[in-house]
Amino acid sequence: MNQPISSHFNPFRVLLAYACCIAFSLVASAQAAEADLSGSARGLTLDVYSRLSPLEINRIHSWEVVVSDAEGPVTDAEIIITGGMPEHNHGMPTQPQITAELAPGRYLLEGVRFHMPGLWRMEARITRDGRPITLTIDFEL
Amino acid sequence: MNRPARVALVLAVVAASAAATWHFVSFPSASTWNEEELRLIASLSLDALPDLPPDPSNARGDDPAAAQLGHSLYFDTRLSANGAVACATCHRPELMFTDGLTLAIGAGVGNRHTPSLVGLSHSPWFYWDGRKDSQWAQALAPLEAKHEHAITRSDLARLISSDADYRSAYIDTFGPLPTFDIPAAASPTGDAAERARWSALTAQQRSDIDTLFSNLGKALAAYQRKLMPGAARFDNYAAALAASGSAERDQGDALSAEERRGLQLFIDKGMCVTCHNGPLFTNHEFHNTGVLANPGELPPMARYDGVRSAREDPFNCLGEFSDADPDQCIELRFARDTNDLVGAHKTPTLRNVALTAPYMHGGQISDLAAVMRHYNEAPTSMLSHNEAKPLNLRPPELRALEAFMHTLTAPLATDPRWLRSPE
Ligand code: HEC
Ligand code: HEC
Ligand SMILES: [Cu+2]
Repeated sequence: MNQPISSHFNPFRVLLAYACCIAFSLVASAQAAEADLSGSARGLTLDVYSRLSPLEINRIHSWEVVVSDAEGPVTDAEIIITGGMPEHNHGMPTQPQITAELAPGRYLLEGVRFHMPGLWRMEARITRDGRPITLTIDFEL
Repeated sequence: MNRPARVALVLAVVAASAAATWHFVSFPSASTWNEEELRLIASLSLDALPDLPPDPSNARGDDPAAAQLGHSLYFDTRLSANGAVACATCHRPELMFTDGLTLAIGAGVGNRHTPSLVGLSHSPWFYWDGRKDSQWAQALAPLEAKHEHAITRSDLARLISSDADYRSAYIDTFGPLPTFDIPAAASPTGDAAERARWSALTAQQRSDIDTLFSNLGKALAAYQRKLMPGAARFDNYAAALAASGSAERDQGDALSAEERRGLQLFIDKGMCVTCHNGPLFTNHEFHNTGVLANPGELPPMARYDGVRSAREDPFNCLGEFSDADPDQCIELRFARDTNDLVGAHKTPTLRNVALTAPYMHGGQISDLAAVMRHYNEAPTSMLSHNEAKPLNLRPPELRALEAFMHTLTAPLATDPRWLRSPE
């Protein structure tokens, strides 16, 4: 019998989940009441305003993504947003892209679609002055 | 009896009853649904189906005159080289717009199984491999395919121009017909002689014929947009559950205990709802589920190639014959094309699935019991990897899942006049 005592309790996973919780603020929060989703890392905050709200599966739509730091909006950032389902080990059905900066620090992300109910994790890689910062947002559909 | 014999007998009885339990006895399930289960059940109900969104690439998609014309075209065998093949030959209304065959038969035998057209207009992609990005662009392909209608676009233009009814219906819906003398049997996709006749036309003439050709596709799409599923026993159950305001699984006769166990497996342990989700029981996405290629066929690249074909299709959303602004072609512009799409086929609807055997892109699986066994085993894929994992369900559970499939059958929510030939 060389099986783990309980396959449900995976200390690594619990630790990971815990680390995620401290590192990033998840889902809508008080400081951005109307945002559909928010996340932050290393002083940078990303608020998602979905043009399809509440979020739904199987419908393609756009997001407006607002990036800010302590000084205010972060303009001219290079942003790559990817997503997937950590529990299923796959990505999004589409390849969304930032296609415009609508207003200072407010970016248009087109081609967003989710195709399964469950836990989704979006990862934004924001490069400013050549320095990339990655932040993560988890949410349930 | 001596002692070892008694022990052996007892052990045999225990083993036999364990095996019988495994095979025949279903374990009782909870008497109420939890919140997550209630949410998923509501999300599968037809009540949750949104209104059909317009197709921006087809300005006539919701035009009644276009649907009328499409209705005539759909059932007309004159749209074929041998005068015997119509769309309705393979997508038969009485079989939920399938044909009951393993591989489709038109002018010849094809290499794919005929899928249902019911509710399909909600999908952003068409064909098992998603090589078309609109229903009107899809409709053009079988007309010219040598194993299907095997006609050419120039012969279609001649038919529409010469038949009095088609002529006036076309002009009323789409405007003027080509004014030059259209040659017989000319097409850029045909054999060498057909291609040569096509090349002999001027660019303007080719564009005029292609405009007419794409308008026939738009009329056929307008017709197919009428084909919508009706409320089945599952939907009545979901409605009763919602109306009762309780989480009680037993809602009278709406679903039997076995069917409810099947529903539970569908949304929980069976993980079916990860792909067969929403009111049409499909996410319209592409997945590798380890279905073996048909004998004699190499494992298909499927969506990996399909998305590339769609991008190159002259009739796609971004092309000259589309009515959409480029920024409306969101699915095409942001389509994923990564390696994990190798061997990925489009998830079919499960509405009316009990009436549409055989199953899968090549008709590989003959009945629903065998489909359930396929998912239970989740064989490794010959190309890439099978996204579905082995389920380890017991025989009574597989039977319950199968029983649930039968609760999705119902007459279409479509005026019956659309379901027969207009004549
Ligand atoms: C010879 C039989 C046959 C004929 C005739 C035929 N089809 Fe099909 N149809 C098929 C098969 C087989 C497929 C799947 C092919 C594939 O995915 O490669 C299909 C696929 C489709 C699809 C896409 C379904 C999906 O799930 O994405 C649509 C829509 C469709 N056909 C409509 C039509 C229309 C409209 C016509 C008439 C112009 C037509 N078909 C004529 C056999 C036929
Ligand atoms: C990973 C996504 C996925 C999951 C999970 C999944 N399916 Fe499917 N299903 C598909 C795809 C894709 C096909 C078509 C495969 C092909 O043709 O190669 C399909 C085909 C089918 C068909 C045949 C339909 C037809 O018209 O040919 C049935 C029935 C079916 N699935 C039922 C189920 C059931 C029941 C479960 C749960 C035990 C399930 N599926 C889980 C994606 C999935
Ligand atoms: Cu998933």
